[in-house]
Amino acid sequence: MSYKHIIGVFDDEALLLKAFRKLKKNGANIKDIYGPFADHDLMKAFAPESRLPYLSFVFAVMTIIGAFGFLYYTAVIDYPLNYSGKPYFSFPSMVVVLFLLTILVTGGLSVVTFLGRTQLFPGKEAKMPDPQAMDNRFYLVLDQNFNPEDIKKWLKESGAEDVLEKEIDF
Amino acid sequence: MFSKKISHALVEGDKNFGQISDELLSNVESKPALWWYAGLTLGAIFLAIGGWAFYMTLSQGIGTWGLTNSVAWGWDVINFVWWIGIGHAGTAFTIFFLVFRQKWAGSINRSAEAMTVFAVMCAGLFPLIHMGRPWLAFFIMPYPNTRLLWVNYNSALFWDVLAISTYLIMSVTLWYLGMVPDLATIANRTKNKLRKTIYGIFSLGWNGSLYTYNRYETLLKLLGGLAAPLVISVHTIVSLNFAISVLPGWHATILPPYFFVGAIFSGFAMVLTLMILMRKVFNISDYITPKHLDNIAQVLKYSSLIIALAYATEIFIAWYSGVTYEIYTFFNARATGSFSTAFWIMVFCNAVVPQVFWWEKARKNLLILFAASILINIGMWFERFVILVSSLAEDFLPSSWTPYQPAMVDIGIFVGTFGLFIVGMLLFVRFIPVIAVNEVKPISRIGKNINPKSEKDEL
Repeated sequence: MSYKHIIGVFDDEALLLKAFRKLKKNGANIKDIYGPFADHDLMKAFAPESRLPYLSFVFAVMTIIGAFGFLYYTAVIDYPLNYSGKPYFSFPSMVVVLFLLTILVTGGLSVVTFLGRTQLFPGKEAKMPDPQAMDNRFYLVLDQNFNPEDIKKWLKESGAEDVLEKEIDF
Repeated sequence: MFSKKISHALVEGDKNFGQISDELLSNVESKPALWWYAGLTLGAIFLAIGGWAFYMTLSQGIGTWGLTNSVAWGWDVINFVWWIGIGHAGTAFTIFFLVFRQKWAGSINRSAEAMTVFAVMCAGLFPLIHMGRPWLAFFIMPYPNTRLLWVNYNSALFWDVLAISTYLIMSVTLWYLGMVPDLATIANRTKNKLRKTIYGIFSLGWNGSLYTYNRYETLLKLLGGLAAPLVISVHTIVSLNFAISVLPGWHATILPPYFFVGAIFSGFAMVLTLMILMRKVFNISDYITPKHLDNIAQVLKYSSLIIALAYATEIFIAWYSGVTYEIYTFFNARATGSFSTAFWIMVFCNAVVPQVFWWEKARKNLLILFAASILINIGMWFERFVILVSSLAEDFLPSSWTPYQPAMVDIGIFVGTFGLFIVGMLLFVRFIPVIAVNEVKPISRIGKNINPKSEKDEL
């Protein structure tokens, strides 16, 4: 369902944070904020902490187990070869390989997970309230609210440069 | 955790966000100057020389190099270690400063990472062609091949292959992910259709949503944390190629930390060289302030002290061990014998020159900074020369001692890697913003008197 979103335009991240806190306190539905960078205080107040690190930990554990299995299979079971009298299963040297493989695979899988979750891919059309969101303005986009007039007032009060009403298709 | 106020401005001048985009994207959005074409031509000439040397190596073999039976590792491995050392600073910059929340690094890390990527590419070339038949390079990968063999996991050379490829992949990933928001900014600002399409494809549909930013920053921190031990492991493993052997001068437990600090040292020196050049040609001295250069100089000063300590430790241990061969290598071959010139250049450039940075005046003087950074790079090249050649050319048996001279092909390959580096860096400064715009914007107001953020504290 397409409807007009109220959008507060800001040119200063401190004012944006102020407006965000005010709206949040009054229970407004906020859809998203678009801007050229992420202010850390705002981000902490706005979005829940990402759970990606937990998943990456799982990836890391899986990689270690998988890589250890692979090393053991190749060096001990499939083709045991005597290198200068060292044991076939020489764990100390495997540690280095395990360490590097874990970093490589975990990093790669984390990136893939991130791209999948945020649905970013090459050739995707970038949809934002205004191209200036990539340059010098912040756009606080609101969802449907029961008190649009109040929200406009609050936005203006907390220093919004402009308050727009716009239909957006994302 | 730490609420220490940053007392100086990280970005000079009172700029709004639009101005910052204008200034930092000007290298991408305007036509390149004459020096850019001149540099590209020079790089292309160097590359052509490298191409000739590469062709000679491939068509006639490693015999075209200056290697002998005794000195089986010469300029190829020296240059490999030198480039990989330079390639260390970029990711070290991003990662360590990301982990320690050093915000001033925000305006340097993009170009430092670019430097890393191209330096590691140059470095990777050497082991590849040293194989003699680089088209069979895939033999070093553990895959079920026709001979049913697997690779030797006990070999430091195999670790090296894995470490460098992992490092390259992680560095490129961090570098690319870091520039996605900036590529989106360029795609949104440009009027040119072709540019819009290409930058649009590479910006992955980035729209500046705060939800995405939240995940993005988590991912970057995560990758930074993963890659931090990698930075240490790469040069450590390079040093193990030497330390595992039994040659005097190589067989030492100090080699891993010594190589690691050396890598950070030479990499930061190269960063300093590039930063001084870039802030001159791109007019970005508001973003790379004298304070930035001062900080890099401080890092150089302290790592130089560690290097000097490592040199002294090596010499002391050689004497203390009482092993004749070790004593010969350090006291005769290196300090007073055939390799004394290289040895003292190394000591002077790496241990003495950076001490000039104890004086604040020297840290503020661009000429001294530039000269010192170049000298350090030369010194670090000589360090690798001393380590490699002096141990190989004069080892246990005097009957197998051989002098070492590089051949034209060796020199050609080295010049060729400079060509690759120059061309790579020039293409980088033409098509990618040299400073991470989305990282500089939030820090642009730190340390200013007119600080709108003060309103935040009242809430």
